[in-house]
Amino acid sequence: MMNAIRWWWGLLLAFSLLAASRAFLPLPFVNEVVIFSIYTMGCSFLLGRVGFISFGQPAYLAAGAYGTAFYLFYFGTDPYVGILVGILSGLAVSGIVGPLFVRLRSDYFALVNLALAVIFYYLMQKVLADITKGDNGLWFLTRMSSTPVLDISTPSHFFVFAFLVALAVWAFYKYLDDSIFGACCLATKINEDKLEFLGYSNYRVRLLAFIIANTTTALAGALYAVYLGFVSPEITSPHRAPDPVVVTILGGTGTLYGPLVGAFAYTGMKDVISKLIGNWELFIGFLLVFIMLAGEKGIWGTLQPRLEKLFSGRKDRTAAGDGAEARR
Amino acid sequence: MDIQLLIPGVIFGLSIGSIFFLMAIGLSLCFGLMRIISLDQLLYYSIGAYITYSLTLATGDVWLGILGGCGVAGVAALGVERLIFRRIYERELTFSMITSFGILIGGVGVIKYFWGVVPRPVPIPMMIQLDIAGTEVPVYRLIVIAIAGLVYGGIWLFLNRTIIGKAIRAGIENVEHVEGLGINVARLFTITFVIAGALSGLAGGLHAPLIMVEPSMGLEVLAFVFMVVIIGGLGSIKGTLVSAFIVGQVISLGSLIYAPLAQMAPFAIMLLILLIKPTGLYGSALLKR
Repeated sequence: MMNAIRWWWGLLLAFSLLAASRAFLPLPFVNEVVIFSIYTMGCSFLLGRVGFISFGQPAYLAAGAYGTAFYLFYFGTDPYVGILVGILSGLAVSGIVGPLFVRLRSDYFALVNLALAVIFYYLMQKVLADITKGDNGLWFLTRMSSTPVLDISTPSHFFVFAFLVALAVWAFYKYLDDSIFGACCLATKINEDKLEFLGYSNYRVRLLAFIIANTTTALAGALYAVYLGFVSPEITSPHRAPDPVVVTILGGTGTLYGPLVGAFAYTGMKDVISKLIGNWELFIGFLLVFIMLAGEKGIWGTLQPRLEKLFSGRKDRTAAGDGAEARR
Repeated sequence: MDIQLLIPGVIFGLSIGSIFFLMAIGLSLCFGLMRIISLDQLLYYSIGAYITYSLTLATGDVWLGILGGCGVAGVAALGVERLIFRRIYERELTFSMITSFGILIGGVGVIKYFWGVVPRPVPIPMMIQLDIAGTEVPVYRLIVIAIAGLVYGGIWLFLNRTIIGKAIRAGIENVEHVEGLGINVARLFTITFVIAGALSGLAGGLHAPLIMVEPSMGLEVLAFVFMVVIIGGLGSIKGTLVSAFIVGQVISLGSLIYAPLAQMAPFAIMLLILLIKPTGLYGSALLKR
């Protein structure tokens, strides 16, 4: 019982803070933060755990979003089923390209993913324009039927749903971190030869990690689609490709709460700065350079050891040590 | 396809390929010698184009503008190298990739601050058309191709006939040994980086009259330039030339066959080449220090 509490308390604390922020921040903002943090989680897992940097996350985001959009626009009206279809299409896409991509070196991997994002962009914008309505996008906000209990076609209920989904995603990744598979992921990043000696297949570990991460990204895409009620090729535009990487690093690469903190900070900064000077690239760009030169730890990566020191003063040492190890 | 369409198509592809080549050569050298992926080359490309625009507006001479763009881009590269890259040469490849992306985005912000977001036109310096096999071909594009050819020759001479060039080639093989011979590697890195930046600036200046100059122009060619480097194999000049030629022709001739193909076909080809030969056409086996 104590173990369960210790395992959950960090998660619950983080998410109760998020829930509390709903009280004094505008609804579109917190919705954006929740979806964006799920989006970033996949990228953070790939970059921090498996050592794959991907500049092509929009491709998988679009796989989820268009999966949902196609279902809601042409076939059904239930947004829950739509999200499920989105997740499945993300699973399918990453399952198809994964075996080809994970064999590549990290730098080639980044650029091949970028290429996939560009291919998706033109596929959705031009080649499949008959089905996707090209640049106009698919609008299905009014087609979505309201669902019982939690009506996710309204923004306020959607927040509750996205919040619960995010909590589940985080619990899942925390579980992964503690599991043998999580250790294997780290091992394939740090020393692939050793992992091979231990009898694990690097290829299989990477493939599984790739599929898990990009299915998470597709889930974020599906949530975007339901939340906005429309999907256009803009979602997979190569210009947006570096966003998740920036947020991952801003929050703290490979940390559990990094994506959440990063998404919060990034969305907030974008909002505030674009209102103040209308030139947020300048700021984001130099912030990124600064974070990298200052030790690439990111916001959460810098805060976490200090918080732990603060708490270990009060709690007994072993518990704090355990927590630190589990959260690392 | 009739010849009236084919010849301009091939010339168009060659000139686009030339511009990609000029940018990719810098990237390729940077990767080969310093083991960095320098996304900020796209920034020097935009700087080159903007300086060309401003100087053309001030003096009325596009060629002077292109020369100035090339120079200013080199100076900007020198500053960035001294301030930022100095500190990160020892780090991992992905590290330089992310940092240089930050520089690129920040630089786009600076450009927006100085020149605004409105696209700017640059006049074409030579409006003359040349008659080849009954079709009109703009001379300016031929000049762009010729300049790229000259640069390739110049780089080849530089790398094979001068001491610094030979040191750079030796450094691509093994940096520690070059350092052991008493050659100042830090200066070698600076020289390479400035050459790369200046060539990107030249590419921007030459490209400016053919397109509109706008802040995000670097991001638009980013994917294509990287494709050129990747298809050719990181670190190989010859591979870069060949793949720039391939990509240029695929874009140009692809658009003649079916318009949306122009943007997508090169990426499909890159995927295909990488899956068959994961190090690119001329890339040596896993280049890891």
